Amino acid sequence: MKLIKCIIRPNKVDEVKDALAKLNIAGMTVTEVRGHGKQKGHTAIYRGKEYNVSLLPKMEVEVVVPDNMADDVVKAVVQAARTGEIGDGRVFVLPVLESYRIRTGEKES
Amino acid sequence: MSLTQPSPGGSTLVAAFDAARTELEADALRGAAGRASLERFSDRIDAMLRQLFADAGGNERSVDVIALGGYGRRHLCLQSDIDLLVLFERAIDADDERFLRAFLHPLWDIGVVIGHQVRELDDFKRLETNNAEFLLALLDARPVAGIRSLFDRFRTRFHTASTHAYILKSLLELIDRRHAAFNATLYQLEPDVKEAPGALRDLTATRTIGMLTDPLLLRRGPADPARVDQAEDFLLRVRSTLHLGAGRNQNVLSHEMQERTADLLGYPGAEPRQRVERLMSDYFRHARVVTRSLDWARKSAPVPVGPNLGLSRDGIRFLDPVVAARNPATWLGAFQAAIDHGTDVSDEALSCIQQHVDRYRADDFFPDAADRQTLLRLLTPRAGLYARLSEMHDCGLLGRVFPEFQAISWRVVRDFYHKYTVDEHTLLTIRNLERIAETTAPERLRFRNVLAAVAEPQLLVLALLLHDVGKWRDDDHAVESVRMAIDVVDRLQLRGDARETVLFLIRHHLQMSLVAFRRDTEDPDVVKTFAAFIGTEERLKMLALMTLVDVEAVSPETLTPWKEELIWRLYVDTYNHLTQRYGDELIERNQAGLDELLKQRPDDLSTVEITRFLEGLPQRYLQLFSRDAIYRHVRLARDIHPDEVHLSLERSDSAIWTVAVTTLDKPVLFSNICGVLSSFGMNIIRGHALTNPNGLVLDVFQFTDDERFLELNAEGHQQLLHVLEDVVSGRSDVTSLLRGREQGVLHAKGAQRFAPVVRADNEASGRYTILDIVANNALGLLYRISRVISRQGCDVDLVLIATEGEKAIDVFHITKGGSKLTEAEQQALTSDLLRTLEGSL
Repeated sequence: MKLIKCIIRPNKVDEVKDALAKLNIAGMTVTEVRGHGKQKGHTAIYRGKEYNVSLLPKMEVEVVVPDNMADDVVKAVVQAARTGEIGDGRVFVLPVLESYRIRTGEKES
Repeated sequence: MSLTQPSPGGSTLVAAFDAARTELEADALRGAAGRASLERFSDRIDAMLRQLFADAGGNERSVDVIALGGYGRRHLCLQSDIDLLVLFERAIDADDERFLRAFLHPLWDIGVVIGHQVRELDDFKRLETNNAEFLLALLDARPVAGIRSLFDRFRTRFHTASTHAYILKSLLELIDRRHAAFNATLYQLEPDVKEAPGALRDLTATRTIGMLTDPLLLRRGPADPARVDQAEDFLLRVRSTLHLGAGRNQNVLSHEMQERTADLLGYPGAEPRQRVERLMSDYFRHARVVTRSLDWARKSAPVPVGPNLGLSRDGIRFLDPVVAARNPATWLGAFQAAIDHGTDVSDEALSCIQQHVDRYRADDFFPDAADRQTLLRLLTPRAGLYARLSEMHDCGLLGRVFPEFQAISWRVVRDFYHKYTVDEHTLLTIRNLERIAETTAPERLRFRNVLAAVAEPQLLVLALLLHDVGKWRDDDHAVESVRMAIDVVDRLQLRGDARETVLFLIRHHLQMSLVAFRRDTEDPDVVKTFAAFIGTEERLKMLALMTLVDVEAVSPETLTPWKEELIWRLYVDTYNHLTQRYGDELIERNQAGLDELLKQRPDDLSTVEITRFLEGLPQRYLQLFSRDAIYRHVRLARDIHPDEVHLSLERSDSAIWTVAVTTLDKPVLFSNICGVLSSFGMNIIRGHALTNPNGLVLDVFQFTDDERFLELNAEGHQQLLHVLEDVVSGRSDVTSLLRGREQGVLHAKGAQRFAPVVRADNEASGRYTILDIVANNALGLLYRISRVISRQGCDVDLVLIATEGEKAIDVFHITKGGSKLTEAEQQALTSDLLRTLEGSL
């Protein structure tokens, strides 16, 4: 199993969700996050005063999928979340050791 | 029959007066000259004065004789002064003075002590704050002779809430001072039956407090009103014996007088000591009743805070609920007073409203313009507004004032997000806005500053109140809310632009969250489209705040710092777009709104004339000004020739004036207008300078006339226009005009000072260098700034002036020789400006 963690633009959440749905992935966790990558924020000016916007609002979408689906999921997310501009985000793939369903306590394979 | 001349009947003024006194003396000798006897005596004096008034020719002129103080209350004692007000309708002339002499001299001749005041009706326009005793005596005013309608006019002028409040305050001070002279105890061995604690003055003061605050107050007091009446009769009977014995206005019940008084009042006892003890024990018993009543009245009396409104321990009350029930237009005042005084509306007042509210329709609550203003003022976001609106909602008033709101009362809409009924969600948006207005949380200050900059925040609250009323139906609620809100803005008779703003906010209340949360706001086109949609900074500010408080009112978790940041960024980007890029977006032939403007044009304007005027002006112009204002500008620019200036000056509302100037391109025009306005002491608060490629310049300034020059000078209007015309056309020099004001120029008005911000930017606009300036607002600030810009050889093409309290926020679009400024030129200009502005710190 793989945990796929996607940091994307806030306005791309719906498109990413639709793309994942097409791969029959229903369960996901979506979180509001703030951070920066290469984009490192930018300088905004309000009424003549500069202020540095270092942490940008992003969305984090997390899904856990079987190993054999990981590549397709990554491709789908990248395609859905891309604008081609700086600040499109990142996708991380992490191994998942074990997974349990809380309601039943049963271990999932 | 005449009193001043002996008549065949033999009656004279002396005889009439003597007869009255003899009768009262006889009563006093029997110890019976209490209330009834004094009333009889007062009535006889009335009759005497009426005859004297007629003899003096009073009935042929507009004058009243009015009894004041104890005589006004018909408690005139044997040796009391007769306090009178002689009131003339108009300014007193020689004839009136002759009348006065003819009226007063005979009274003096027979030795009556008259305490008279002479006034003209207009004297009561102002409150005489240097004579509290006189004001108190006026409360007992009673017409004796003359014209009743004049007396009624005097009453209307005199009895105002503010006068009552002032008198009450003075009365309480006088009581404290008087009591201090008696060591604040009623148990005096030789009490003064007029002045001592528990004596006659205290009794009158108790009633006066009731009269000024709550007519029903004394009925709820610790003493049965009948016992207070008995105390009064006793004290008056004692006083009469003192006046009889002393033959003068002497009120101290001395040991010697105690024996005589006890005898006259018929107290039993073999020894004088026993009779005196019984008298004094009665005296203390009555004085205690009076003292307790006064103490209770002082503790419980509501402080008058408006017409029929009092501030008491349980909040704002109607002083007379019966009157309140009949006057629904005064109810909103109770909620306003509660906000003003940081308290609740009392349960009693809420019950009164609840009991009667169903009898009235929406219009009954704001029948005239002043009431509509009261309602709008009530909607100003500040501490207490949510609580008061909730009280109004609970007692049924809110739903009557706004039947549209009633439609969403307890309305449940099931979705994944909302946690409250629609009405409560709506009221919570207002609570959130009120919290922003009061917040000190560092992360929220940026929004507080935006709110502080909104010119009419009450319109935002009105929009919030109505934004979800369409949810009584299940389909597109924003459209339905607008349909319903139109009735409200019609009933409130809002100004055209205010009306448009409220409807715009309601119709598009979801738009900003949609763009902020669901669109790529880093895409300049998204911001550009949103800015075009919003149109003006004012609407942007309101919509940003509306979005914030609306999201926050969905549930405690809905507004995250993350969402707050997205809203803020979209606000900043849109604000920058609106203020810095509008010079690049000029009105085109197929511009939205242009068709309507041409179609609706008045008969005296042609399509060609309007189109030619608009050609090359920024698109923003169409959003900044109403259709009527645009038509006025077109007329102003009509037939203008080089070296001519066309001007108009009008009052936009009670405090704000608008001057519009058109001319063909003049160097330093902007600076000159600012200079002239400053030389007249005008405080410029908003303004726009616009140019079109044909060389036409249109400058529109809004200013306040803090020194009331235009109000106090009948010719001021013309004088200001004249000077403007002379300066703009070069016939006189603004520098010399300003010389007298050099001290005032750039003197900030004492508020918090901060370092000025000056920033030049060549990126934002394709055509102009943008100069952002934020500085302490001060008289002449704009003049100084624009002089520096001219000194640096730059042309001012467009200007946007705004103020937020003591902060001036100005955006200049400038060029030098038709191009943007180079880096070095920007540097030179900003340094020069900073030097000038810092010089003012």
